Amino acid sequence: MTDPIPVRPVAALECRTCGAGAPVDEHFCPQCSRILALGRHGDYFSFLGLPRKLTIAAHDLERRFRELSRQFHPDYFYNAAPTERLASLERSSYLNDAYRTLRNPVSRIEHLLAIEGLPAAKSEEGTAKVPPALLEEVFALNEELDEIRELRESGGEPAALGARLDAARRPIDRKREEHERQLQELAARWDVQEQAPASEKRATLEALRERLLERNYINNLLATIDREVASLQVQ
Amino acid sequence: MSHVVGIDLGTTNSLVAYVRNGVPQVIRDQSGDALVPSVVSIGEEGTVFVGREAQRRLITAPDRSVYSIKRFMGRGVEDVLSEASMLPFRVGGEAGGVVRVGVGGREFTPPEISAFVLKELKHRAEEFFREQGEFDFEVDRAVITVPAYFNDAQRTATRDAGRIAGLEVLRIINEPTAAALAYGLDKKNRGTIAVYDLGGGTFDISILKVEDGVFQVLSTNGDTHLGGDDIDHLLMRLVLDEIAHVARATAETVQTIRKAVIQAKLDLSEHDSTEIIVEPSADLPNGHRRRMTRAEFESLIAPLVERTLGPVRQALADAGLEPGDIDEAVLVGGSTRLPLVRRKVAELFGKTPHTELNPDEVVALGAALQADILISGRREMLLLDVTPLSLGIETMGGVTSKIIVRNSTIPASGREMFTTGVDNQTAVDVHVLQGERELATDCRSLAQFKLRGIPPMPAGLPRIEVRFQIDANGILSVAARELRTGIEQTIEVKPSYGLTDGEVERMLIESFEHAEADFEARLLIEERNEAESVIHATEKSLRHPDFEQVAQADLKPGEVERIRAALAQLKQAMPSTDREAIHARTHELNHATQHLAEVMMNRSVREALAGKNVTDV
Repeated sequence: MTDPIPVRPVAALECRTCGAGAPVDEHFCPQCSRILALGRHGDYFSFLGLPRKLTIAAHDLERRFRELSRQFHPDYFYNAAPTERLASLERSSYLNDAYRTLRNPVSRIEHLLAIEGLPAAKSEEGTAKVPPALLEEVFALNEELDEIRELRESGGEPAALGARLDAARRPIDRKREEHERQLQELAARWDVQEQAPASEKRATLEALRERLLERNYINNLLATIDREVASLQVQ
Repeated sequence: MSHVVGIDLGTTNSLVAYVRNGVPQVIRDQSGDALVPSVVSIGEEGTVFVGREAQRRLITAPDRSVYSIKRFMGRGVEDVLSEASMLPFRVGGEAGGVVRVGVGGREFTPPEISAFVLKELKHRAEEFFREQGEFDFEVDRAVITVPAYFNDAQRTATRDAGRIAGLEVLRIINEPTAAALAYGLDKKNRGTIAVYDLGGGTFDISILKVEDGVFQVLSTNGDTHLGGDDIDHLLMRLVLDEIAHVARATAETVQTIRKAVIQAKLDLSEHDSTEIIVEPSADLPNGHRRRMTRAEFESLIAPLVERTLGPVRQALADAGLEPGDIDEAVLVGGSTRLPLVRRKVAELFGKTPHTELNPDEVVALGAALQADILISGRREMLLLDVTPLSLGIETMGGVTSKIIVRNSTIPASGREMFTTGVDNQTAVDVHVLQGERELATDCRSLAQFKLRGIPPMPAGLPRIEVRFQIDANGILSVAARELRTGIEQTIEVKPSYGLTDGEVERMLIESFEHAEADFEARLLIEERNEAESVIHATEKSLRHPDFEQVAQADLKPGEVERIRAALAQLKQAMPSTDREAIHARTHELNHATQHLAEVMMNRSVREALAGKNVTDV
């Protein structure tokens, strides 16, 4: 979902109207000014004219989105030639995808990892094995949850069990907050690493990916606790 | 240049509007009425009546008349059987297929019924442009609105209806978004707007952000089976229970009750109490009367109004907003005239909602503006709408895998990779779904198709990319390619609750074949109207207190008898569908009364001159 759509394996675009060549980040032909078909596009950042950085001002992103929408939207190509109409549809779809992806800080990082060539940090992966950094918390939580479930099934006092769930949740919440902080730090580090050696940049990306996987795992743990709270309330 | 219009194809009423010099206006009939009731009735000879005439026939020929067809658009038989019990027409069709309604010995799909309404609107607009002295008065293109929460099948059914009516559907747009456009909130404001649209059969909530003339929908939610009809049904059940011991619920009785409760509902928006007056009918010779206070009415409908608040909260949550973040709330749809609805909305958002524009007309005005944007290429305003429901496919174990999530700005695209499960497999089945639930069986089935022509390879080796494209109408198309060979796949999409292109084509051709009969029906109605006004004028003269005196003094012998005979002849011809006969007898009556009319006229002139008031004559 977050990967850019590979369309044609070309680095430059060719205008289907006049045949002129155009750089991949152009939206309109420099020669005849017709809308260009969507080629194999670089990425969402460059499509929106943004540097490949993780800090994006919301109002700037919104403004770019509105401006490009006004240029591409199929409403304005209703009477155009079929190739231009298709180009407008493709560019608008891509723009909408780019906007949705970059608006959210987490999907923004996922997209960066994808275009920098790191394997995707999909949420399913997060449930497969426990990330080493969370072993302690997961172990403690699972033990506590097992006990609470047993007590619930044998008719334990819901209020008391609810309090235990709350207590079990606290360390996980703390861990999550810590992770959010780390993600922000890593994002800020990436943004100033433009001139840094490739190995350092790679290390930041690897760390970002690691944090994302852990974050998914933490979210799953919190969801498990929520389900347990819900089954207490049912009783 | 032929004309483009905006059409609000409503559950209860439909309207058509156009833009002149940048200003949208609804098109009215001679009596100033903009609403065309979305009712279709099939006459005994197969002629089709639409609008007011069809609405009258709901009482006289309930089993030949169809209303609220919008609730059936793009749906299957199993979806609608529960509500079919309240309807006078027969609802059928194959299980798992599109609904068919049986009226007047013919079967119609919902898009065909809607096409009759669209044709009536097209005709109304063409008459209007002709009267304006336009040389080319043809209306051949339209923007048609749908509830924001309509799914792909419902949108496609609406577009099909337009095609069957002979219209090029420029765009399907969402009703709340159209309303926001009509309010022109971009001119005064930069902010966040909530549009609450409660119509005859559907409920929508849309949250929009307006800036720089761009109307960007942040989220939408709703219920395509919640509206004024449901309020009517509650009241009808109440009355039916009360008369259960005296009358059977025949179609005629049910329609008489429906008419009475709708009137009472309208009254209760203006007054604190009213009386439900059911006119006497064959099964209910004494009729039925019952007082109802607004308090009683509101406690009856409160659960329905409450049901709208769930979608509102969900839409706010999806937009990441709190009720207090909403700068403007806008009310759309006839059912928002209910004081209870206005109170609830004001309470929720903590501000008085906009009601300046007629809630029945505002959607058509917005549709006309959008049509104007499309054909003129003007760029002051832009609508960016969203897809209301997530799009997904069925994966192993019947689980839904989402490809385009709900509230994604449209147009939107997504893709999914498929491969084969056994060696040399050359086809893969794909099941496309719409909805938010985890299991495929809980989602709406949109289409099933087979990816064919996969090159024989070991299992798991083919890489088939299926691309899903939702266009600016919110309608899906699918394309696929095997990436190793680059071969484009042929996709036969079988819509689960829709018509195939072939069926739409056939219906379009059939509608041309019926066009002559429909034209005849219109002429007949016009002829009857003319005859009625001549009968009325004649009877008025005959009842005049001075008539006997006039007859004695000024009329020739036998003239009164000739008038009475001609009148009786015409009245006898009225129920027939022989247009020529009605026309001839109208002409005869006109002729027979010509002298009388002159005499009466002269007399009133003389009396006026003598100081007697004309109105006394």
